[in-house]
Amino acid sequence: MIPLDRYPKEITLRDDARLVLRPMVPEDVEGLWSFLRQLPEIDKSHFHEDVDRREVVERWAKSLDYDSALPILAIQGDRVVGSATLYRNRTGWKQRIGIVRILIGADVRHLGLGTAMIREIRHLGEKVALNYLLAEVIEEQQAAVRALERMGFERAVVYRNFVNDRKGHLHNLVVLLHPMSGLEKERLY
Amino acid sequence: MTTPAKGGVCPYKGVAYVELRAGHDQLYFGRWRRNDATSIDLRKAYRQLERLLHELAAAIDKEDIPAARLDLEKAFEALHTAGPDEEGPELLRYLDHALSYAHRVIGDLLHEKGLPPHSPGDFAEWYDAGEVPFREDW
Repeated sequence: MIPLDRYPKEITLRDDARLVLRPMVPEDVEGLWSFLRQLPEIDKSHFHEDVDRREVVERWAKSLDYDSALPILAIQGDRVVGSATLYRNRTGWKQRIGIVRILIGADVRHLGLGTAMIREIRHLGEKVALNYLLAEVIEEQQAAVRALERMGFERAVVYRNFVNDRKGHLHNLVVLLHPMSGLEKERLY
Repeated sequence: MTTPAKGGVCPYKGVAYVELRAGHDQLYFGRWRRNDATSIDLRKAYRQLERLLHELAAAIDKEDIPAARLDLEKAFEALHTAGPDEEGPELLRYLDHALSYAHRVIGDLLHEKGLPPHSPGDFAEWYDAGEVPFREDW
């Protein structure tokens, strides 16, 4: 069980704006849908479904399962301005690997929210004893790549012309890994 | 507060983790990073950094931030790889790494308290630093 007693958590951005971080709840459909719709196309490329369709977000909200996917939302006033999701497998050989997806609203970029979200996911990953966090980012998203690297993620591989956006254009995919403290302990045995 | 290059009101007045942040910035803007740094500057920086890391260890000891512990371990590892008697570019590189991890630990502490991240650039004038490398945030 992932510990959620730290939420709601208030944070302050570089411009002194106050935000609240908390896990997504079913009532967040409208807020999350509005947030996703205003994101640039490139940021929506990784979704398996068309997130411009409200029913997709409604389905997510109905099937929330924090042990498989924990979406942490950043809320400013009553508006969702960012999200960070930690995906985990309950069983199998990847059960100690957490996959990270972070989305930051265009109007709150470069204020430290992305970095704060990475810190949040690192904290959660440590708490559930993951060995690695894995992030996949399109190479053009340079601010995200640099922020992940500054927070201890290392480039594992870059796949050239590997993924396509929603218009079919190909992009390089950067895969970054963050070794967690549990990994070091496990190596001792 | 020591090492003010300029007079006036200390910009650290009232900020959280003042000793840690000022300690970090004294190193960040320190002589050891200049082209004309001497081996004495580097040895002094090593000792200062060692002190800062111990102060950080004491600060995170009171908190439940496992990621910060990992960062601090890496900072000590970088520092000890450098060694106090090492000289030259290798020492500089490892000290730089250790300082970078220390900055991350300070960020972890501030984040836990819901405070904005620490940016040495905000205090550059205090140290009479001519130019601070631009660090884009996300």
